[in-house]
Amino acid sequence: MRDVSIVGTGTTEFGVLEGGVKDLGSRAVARALRDAGVERSDVGALYVGNFVAGILEGQGAVGPMIADEVGLSGVPAMTTEGACASSGIALRQAQRAVASGEYDVVVAAGVESMTDAGTPEFTRALGSAADRLTEGVTGLTFPGFYGIYLDRYTHEYGATREEVAAVSVKNRANGAKNPRARFREPVTVEEVVESRLVADPLRLYDCCPAADGGAAVVLAASDVAGEFTDEPVEVLGTGHATGHNAAYRYEDLTTLDATVTAAERAYAEAGIGPADLDVVELHDCFTPAEIGDSEDLGLFEKGEGARAVADGRTEVGGEIPINPSGGLLSKGHPVGATGIGQVYEVCRQLRADHENQVEDAGVGLAHNLGGSGAVCTVTVLGRGDRR
Amino acid sequence: MTAPEFPARACSDCGEPYGHEPSVCRECGGESFETDPIPGSARLYASTTIRVPGSDHRGEEPFVVGLVDVDDAARVTARIEGLDEGARPEPGAPLEYVERRDGTFYFRPA
Repeated sequence: MRDVSIVGTGTTEFGVLEGGVKDLGSRAVARALRDAGVERSDVGALYVGNFVAGILEGQGAVGPMIADEVGLSGVPAMTTEGACASSGIALRQAQRAVASGEYDVVVAAGVESMTDAGTPEFTRALGSAADRLTEGVTGLTFPGFYGIYLDRYTHEYGATREEVAAVSVKNRANGAKNPRARFREPVTVEEVVESRLVADPLRLYDCCPAADGGAAVVLAASDVAGEFTDEPVEVLGTGHATGHNAAYRYEDLTTLDATVTAAERAYAEAGIGPADLDVVELHDCFTPAEIGDSEDLGLFEKGEGARAVADGRTEVGGEIPINPSGGLLSKGHPVGATGIGQVYEVCRQLRADHENQVEDAGVGLAHNLGGSGAVCTVTVLGRGDRR
Repeated sequence: MTAPEFPARACSDCGEPYGHEPSVCRECGGESFETDPIPGSARLYASTTIRVPGSDHRGEEPFVVGLVDVDDAARVTARIEGLDEGARPEPGAPLEYVERRDGTFYFRPA
């Protein structure tokens, strides 16, 4: 297996945008190609993560469509779908395609357009990530999954409502510095715990907003990366694992096995552990998700994640900064674009070029989770001088 | 009055019990299942009140969905009914099986 590097990145803002998946995905890919200085004839393949275009836009074949739209017609292209982890999967498949030696240069992207649909429509679409026949029929929603999660987490570990709300306060403060974020105003603990109930005990400001957006990266074999950039970001390790397709399938709902397994695989491939990380972008679709994810990734002991946030240990300048981009809670969650959107933010950190910079960030992690923990990807990235 | 029995399913080949019937038996790959009723007494693992439903369930809100351990044998995702408006039982609360309607299991406080 060859070493692989990211040699170009591109993204749209995340928010309420004009255009559907064709426009947003194509712009992200074109921007990444331009950033890398890669000729279209150099590109060996294209992987595009997307989740709900078929449901909300009636648009299929998103990957092949974007290939043609950006002038890559002829390359093998495909859509990867794993609910909210769709583009994390695209990135990992792209890494494998280069690492195997089949291609020297591959593009991985993600795209979603959600805000044209009403809340009931995209809530239904996102709910399709859970097993429809057993769990979907009950009316359990995606926020509802994390409502149940928080109910059990609080019962098991005694986290306070204020500690949980601190996730949103931290991430919204971070997002205020990120021009790509949908929400750029900070919130207080009081505002979070007094916001309206969505899926008890979850409240509105515990939930990430829907968004439209696209993001893309160009990957190249590390031994040719220097032809495209002076600042390659090395893909040190990736992990991809599946968990359970419905909440009732967990014996312990407060540990999402897919995250634990994907992280173990990514750390092993990178030859590092969680203590070696300088910056983390993780899947904070809801406040309790960030708490549980931080534990499942090995950053904190089980049951300590909420206190760690409330104590400031995950702020920029803290011992392990989590979601300096503002995370999904601020950027918004264009589901199919989120995974590569996270990778985009980590790359900016490792190139010392982020609006909310973590000092001397050398090794970063992106964690992308789909559905009820049904699927997860973890990507460990390193500045060129860190291998 | 005792609660109705819960219509658990069991693999016809190896007997593995299930609350929600799977597509194939996860233990042996068997493709046929039969009803093997168990007592309908249950305990709540955790729950949520859905106030913003998907378009398929508009107008039903608010409603409570929980993970329910039936007779310490099977965990299912189910609706909890028979609650006061705005109330939600604590994890561990005793429940009993009511019935299955339109593919969804219903429980109520015991």
